[in-house]
Amino acid sequence: MTDQEKDPVVNSSLSKPLFISSALLLLSLGWALYDEVYGTRPWKGYQTRFDKVYSRFLRETLPQEAASEQKIKASPEYKDLDRQMQAAEKAVMPQVAEIDRKVNLELVPRALALNEPFQEVRGHVGALTYQIEISKSESSKNSMRKEIEELKKEVHMVKLPKPDGSTEKVPMDFATMDKTLQDWKADKATLLQKRVDLLKPATELRAKRDKYLTDRISDVSAATLEGLKNKMATFEVGIRQIHVKDVDLVDRCESCHLGTREPVTLTKAAMGGEEVFVSHPNRELLKVHDPEKFGCTPCHGGNGVALTSVEKAHGYNEHWLWPLHARENFEAGCQQCHSQEIVTEMADTLDAGRETFRLRGCMACHRYEGFDRDPDALSAVNQDIRQLTQQKAEWTREAGFSVEKGDRTRNNDEAQKLYQHANDLKVRTSLIDAKIEQDDDRARSLVREIKKVGPSLKEVRMKMHKEWLPVWLKDPHAWRPGTKMPTFRLDDGEIRAVAAFIWQSGVTGDLPQQPAGDPEKGKEAFETRGCMACHSMGEGADKQGGTFAANLSRVGEKDNYDYLVRWVHNPRQRTLPYCPFEKKDITAEDYKRAGLPFVFDTEHSKCPNDGHELLVMQMTPMPSLRLSEAEARDIASYLETRKHTGVTYANADYLDDPSLKARGQFLVRFYGCAGCHEIAGLEEEQRIGTELTKEGSKPIERLDFALLGHDAERQGWYTHKGFFEHKLENPAVYDQGKEKAKLDRLKMPNFNLSKPEIDQLTTFLLGSVDPSIPARYFYNPGDQRRDIVDGWWVVRKYNCMGCHQVHVGQTTVFMTLPRYQDPDWKDQRPPTLIGEGARVNPEWLMRFLNNPSLTDNPEEMDRDGVRRYLHARMPTFYFSDDEIQKLVRFFAAMSSQAAPYIADRLDPLTDQERTMARQLFSSEGAPCLKCHATGDPKHDAHATAPNFLLAKERLKPGWARRWMLDPAMMSPGTAMPSGLFRAEGDREVFAGPTPASFNGYTKDHAQLLVRYMFQFTPEELTRLRASAAGQ
Amino acid sequence: MAETDGKKGAPASPPAGAPPAGSNGDGKNGKGRITALLEGGKVVRERAVDELKALKQPEKTDLWKSVLRVKHDETPRSRALGVLSNVFLHLHPAKINRDAVAYNYTWGMGGMTFYVYITLVFTGTLLMFYYHPSKVVAFRDILYLEHDVPFGKLLRNMHRWGAHLMVIMVELHMFRVFLTGSYKPPRQFNWVVGVLLLVLTLLLSFTGYLLPDDQLGFWAVTVGTNMARATPLLGHDGPFGHQLGMTPFNDVRFGLLGGSIVDANALLRAYIWHCVAIPIIASTFMVVHFWRVRKDGGISGPSPVVLESEIKEPRKL
Amino acid sequence: MEGGLKPARDFSPVSSYSPGGSHMDFHQLWTIFSTPDNVPIVLLLFVVPFYTWYGLRQAFANDRLIGQLEADPALAKTSHRKTQLWKPGWAKEVHVWPYLLRIEFLAAIIVTVILMVWSITLNAPLEEPSNPTLTMNPAKAPWYFLGLQEMLVYFDPWMAGVVFPSLIIIGLMVIPYIDANPLGNGYYTYKQRKFSILTFLFGFIALWVSMIVIGTIIRGPGWMWFWPGVTWDHNRLVFEVNRDLPDIFGIKDRTGKAIFGAIVMGIYFVGAWIGMHKLITRTPFNRKIYARMSLLQYSVMQVFLILMLLLPVKMLLRLVFRIKYVWITPWFNI
Repeated sequence: MTDQEKDPVVNSSLSKPLFISSALLLLSLGWALYDEVYGTRPWKGYQTRFDKVYSRFLRETLPQEAASEQKIKASPEYKDLDRQMQAAEKAVMPQVAEIDRKVNLELVPRALALNEPFQEVRGHVGALTYQIEISKSESSKNSMRKEIEELKKEVHMVKLPKPDGSTEKVPMDFATMDKTLQDWKADKATLLQKRVDLLKPATELRAKRDKYLTDRISDVSAATLEGLKNKMATFEVGIRQIHVKDVDLVDRCESCHLGTREPVTLTKAAMGGEEVFVSHPNRELLKVHDPEKFGCTPCHGGNGVALTSVEKAHGYNEHWLWPLHARENFEAGCQQCHSQEIVTEMADTLDAGRETFRLRGCMACHRYEGFDRDPDALSAVNQDIRQLTQQKAEWTREAGFSVEKGDRTRNNDEAQKLYQHANDLKVRTSLIDAKIEQDDDRARSLVREIKKVGPSLKEVRMKMHKEWLPVWLKDPHAWRPGTKMPTFRLDDGEIRAVAAFIWQSGVTGDLPQQPAGDPEKGKEAFETRGCMACHSMGEGADKQGGTFAANLSRVGEKDNYDYLVRWVHNPRQRTLPYCPFEKKDITAEDYKRAGLPFVFDTEHSKCPNDGHELLVMQMTPMPSLRLSEAEARDIASYLETRKHTGVTYANADYLDDPSLKARGQFLVRFYGCAGCHEIAGLEEEQRIGTELTKEGSKPIERLDFALLGHDAERQGWYTHKGFFEHKLENPAVYDQGKEKAKLDRLKMPNFNLSKPEIDQLTTFLLGSVDPSIPARYFYNPGDQRRDIVDGWWVVRKYNCMGCHQVHVGQTTVFMTLPRYQDPDWKDQRPPTLIGEGARVNPEWLMRFLNNPSLTDNPEEMDRDGVRRYLHARMPTFYFSDDEIQKLVRFFAAMSSQAAPYIADRLDPLTDQERTMARQLFSSEGAPCLKCHATGDPKHDAHATAPNFLLAKERLKPGWARRWMLDPAMMSPGTAMPSGLFRAEGDREVFAGPTPASFNGYTKDHAQLLVRYMFQFTPEELTRLRASAAGQ
Repeated sequence: MAETDGKKGAPASPPAGAPPAGSNGDGKNGKGRITALLEGGKVVRERAVDELKALKQPEKTDLWKSVLRVKHDETPRSRALGVLSNVFLHLHPAKINRDAVAYNYTWGMGGMTFYVYITLVFTGTLLMFYYHPSKVVAFRDILYLEHDVPFGKLLRNMHRWGAHLMVIMVELHMFRVFLTGSYKPPRQFNWVVGVLLLVLTLLLSFTGYLLPDDQLGFWAVTVGTNMARATPLLGHDGPFGHQLGMTPFNDVRFGLLGGSIVDANALLRAYIWHCVAIPIIASTFMVVHFWRVRKDGGISGPSPVVLESEIKEPRKL
Repeated sequence: MEGGLKPARDFSPVSSYSPGGSHMDFHQLWTIFSTPDNVPIVLLLFVVPFYTWYGLRQAFANDRLIGQLEADPALAKTSHRKTQLWKPGWAKEVHVWPYLLRIEFLAAIIVTVILMVWSITLNAPLEEPSNPTLTMNPAKAPWYFLGLQEMLVYFDPWMAGVVFPSLIIIGLMVIPYIDANPLGNGYYTYKQRKFSILTFLFGFIALWVSMIVIGTIIRGPGWMWFWPGVTWDHNRLVFEVNRDLPDIFGIKDRTGKAIFGAIVMGIYFVGAWIGMHKLITRTPFNRKIYARMSLLQYSVMQVFLILMLLLPVKMLLRLVFRIKYVWITPWFNI
């Protein structure tokens, strides 16, 4: 066929498309390869960069460290130590050398040489022995035995090297060879031991010298750095992962965050501004939570397995449920395991969050496991009582039956069995009674422990000016900035109704007319008695005092003087007791009907109508300062003066309009006011909010972003964090744009939280999750640490930390008050409680907490049991027994004291010793009585230390001695002088001039004084006073 | 040549061979030996040279012949044999309609579907090395696939997208076959097989959906299997199902999931259907499908158009 | 993500957000199209129309050729009757090796490249670990089953999920046996197979593919209808009452409903049958084919056509007249 009509099918060539597509295929393969090796392995880049930056860092810091090390080595002390070491070494050198020679040149080579023939013979013998053991015939056995004998007798010429290099031939039979070998081994051992002993002093000196060096090097020694440098020299790019087998956790975080666990502290600056490489900010934390055991993601969140991109590794990609906690919330990780605590060490943000949650009364509307333990415990106890009573009834019945059966049965043994059974049941029943009794007590104390966040509104009629109520309801924060009371979005109608209901539901009772007090005195008392540990006074810049309770700057505008007096005198005093069983307030009439005096307090707490436990105290944590009536009046009058001038309140007579009451009650219910306040008729109200215990792990779909969902997605806060933050910042935010009836709107009131507060609460909520790690990782200690966990709840509940330092580094409110900056007033600060457990006798502490006045004499109540000289006064908190136990155990645990406490016995003083001690006490050198109270009012007026009479039952002798030796160590800046004693051999001797009687006294002086103090008696006190006066 | 080789070679082969023919064993024995050795050496060299020459045309060697049974020259015969005698190609005829070679008629969808199926089997097998069909572990395995396994991510992606591609191609293939009326006699039955293959493809893809054990698969499968509960007669929600005593615990859905909810059992069943059962069935049907294509006279066209006037009367039964 | 708290004042004002769809929400469109599992549908959107066009173009070319041949029988005798170019002397058949195999090889390579690139650039989805307590909204079946899921709107599960799928499969299987038209075997043509091609296009594109597209792109949370560009708003509420046909006619008691429904269905069947018959026997050519059909073939075809028609009819009733059920019995509803 001719060219122009060539068959396209047959002649067309596909090579071009084939070539192109193959090229493309190769390209795509190449791409895939790149993607595999580099594109999806960003950590490789990080590692190479880390290698560069870190090595440079080491190179640069090494010389500095070396230099500083040189400086130290140059110091005379070091040189001296070094010289001593050298000297010691030189001293023993010859002997050591001799030993080495003997061992290395004689014993070892000879032993080696001898060993060979010996082993040979022994092997042969062994083989024969085996033959003997297995062979059947006695004859062959014997023949072989003979053979062995001959072997052993056979004499070998052993070639033994001599130190000079030549060798000698020594004839030996098996026994001798064995023997000689043993001897040589023994010699060698003894010689080596000798060597060690010789070098001992030198080695010790060397250790001393090196310690001197390490003690003076700040971060790491040059040696360590050198080591690191070598490590980096062999740095290999590869995945760094932690694998916790038992939870099958894999965390590769350190594939990029390579500096995390480096022994050197790596700052951002040091690492060339690359934050990924900095070392973990809190080494302490890593010590407690070893990454090898805990991994990273359980605390921090993120996707530990992921390595393909930063976004994925941090779990910020869509569909990953556990994203990395943001910087301001990273302590959320602690909560999931430490959920039982109110205070967790090293987690300040989280602690603050919990405290805000508690203080602002979040748990009044939102159930949160652990945060309303008192009500929970109460219901649990009641439940338990019910069950026990049931059990008791059952057993009693069963006992009856088995007795009957026993009577009926013919068989005697059978009868015996049945009677026995009946008796056992009775005994067990008796045990139940004991249990029930315990439960009853517990229930009683629990009734006392339950507190409300806000004040009781039952007393409102007696306490308030009615005009004030509506103003307050309108916007509490406007009237009193920073108050706990949140702003509800009420319209005027609602305000009128609510106010009217509250007003009309208030109880009335007779309130004694109080004469006016002295505001000046009152001011002084208010500022010194300790009110300001919880309350603040003054507004804006000149605001002072604690934030635990209300700011009282305008209290004069709202409160009724007579009531205020009663309140200041004893805040726990109720107008009427409440009976949880009848669910009503018990009035004087009820008592009259029962023919009882109208008296109710912790001793008289039974309901006159049905004998149930009454609620006899206000549900406020505010304690009684045991003030005198007069002082109470002074303070009240002072408070009455605290008001803005020229503020007028609109008339509010409508509060008495009964027609408003019904709507008011509905609204009060609706907004859950009864969560924080005690309100007549609503004592049993349920919480109105959703439970938050596991809020952090609620599926995001279940969080109602309402119309903001789409904005949230676009603006990148469609997360739990975003939801919480926006909700807290403006609780109504998710109503934006919604078409809702007033009552359908979101109820949560506005707490005007600050940014830090929001972060803290968000942290807390983010941590409130269904933990993804097994329960055995939770912090749930069984030992003393448990007491600490429990104790903190009480400590926080009553704000002990307002007055006392409870843990190191904590500041009390008193420390912040200007007045207490003055040196003269420093001693007036309440005592620190750091080490309290080691200091005081738990028995005594129990008594003291129960009644800080340490007296039952009503006249003397108006005082502090230990430190009369303090203006601030340890108040009476009306703790329940349970709370007291918790506190005592808490302090014991905090200073790791064994419980129960057994006082160590002190040998009695001889008369002579007593005189010596007395003389020393009153001597010029030790003016103990200058500060320590003596019970003589004139003297005690300016005493600043407790009376020695207390020591016996209050203190622990061990502590007393330590205190005397170095008080400044325990509480820096204490008035108690340090350096009173100096060590003299193994005993402490008084540093100052000692009375003549001490001459020839060989015992420990400090101990003498301790024994004196712990055998102190009132009589001795008078004698002591006398001798002091004598001086 | 060969014979002389044989003669010379025989004595040469033993190193200290017997003396060469003619010389008797007396006298200068050593000399005779040496000459014999030299001779032998020469012979061996000659042979080596010959054989090296032979290697210049590999297709002549036995090895070559044993592997490729035909010689590959340009002759029509060997071209035909090349296809017919090759197990992978023998489903092709030796020659085909010149126009069928062009893309525009077949769209190549059938062939490409098969190719994608093979890649799926390949990637799928590799994936099976890294996957445990059990709750919790399954999901983590996918994470490891993405982050640890070399090319794991690529494998998984190829498998998933390949599956989608296959479904699309199968549907297009059916579309083409219909447009060209290729299901008409004699190919009716192969069309039926094809429909079955379409169904199997969908099932394959669907059973694979659950395996990562994530929300997507879980709910897709839940929705899917919930339909089964409504099967007439056999599902407990279906018409007459209740009357026939169907409950969530004995109906067809229970059978599919191995439980009343999508759970570990469902995962395992999906896994076995996906990795073992359906592939075997599908492969079998594919074999039939291809075989029938060949037996029904290769691909249907493009064949010359037939005119309305040329319709033959159907023969009456 | 990293960002701290945005104070409420900075909220983009809620007005910016309008579920009504008064403005195009391109972000939403993008999220739909960029969802990895939706890529096949996007692909479908291009591929199906292309191949339809590609096939039909050849069909029309052949039809033109057929036209010429019918016009002059002489040419019909000599022509090789293909649109493909052919010259005398060219082999009618070519060797598979290399002429076919090289193309297959090429195709294999290209497919591989496509698959590789697709797999490198796009990651297979992996969502949260399965959680039975947390329902996805919308919970969608794999895309190729979305047609069935869409049917769920119009029929009860036993119909949409079981009966129709089986009918589709069987229907497809019987095609060769009920298509009595001998023409168009092995070449693209429209003219010679109008009816069957139109039917198939209707079933494949109008019903199957378009339903998949609807299920993917139109159906949002709560399986509600969102036009493209309307934000998928989880809070969206739509008011629609769906009544049952019997209620419109005020039939209350169950037996009444059952009987009424049966009657209506009967009417539909008869009507559809007649309509279809008219369609089948419209043109003389079709009549010729009809004559070649056995009674069985004919009735089977009718049944399947009518059942296929049921879907669009029901869609119409539901979407336009808001009618839920036509036939209500104690055991099943249609």
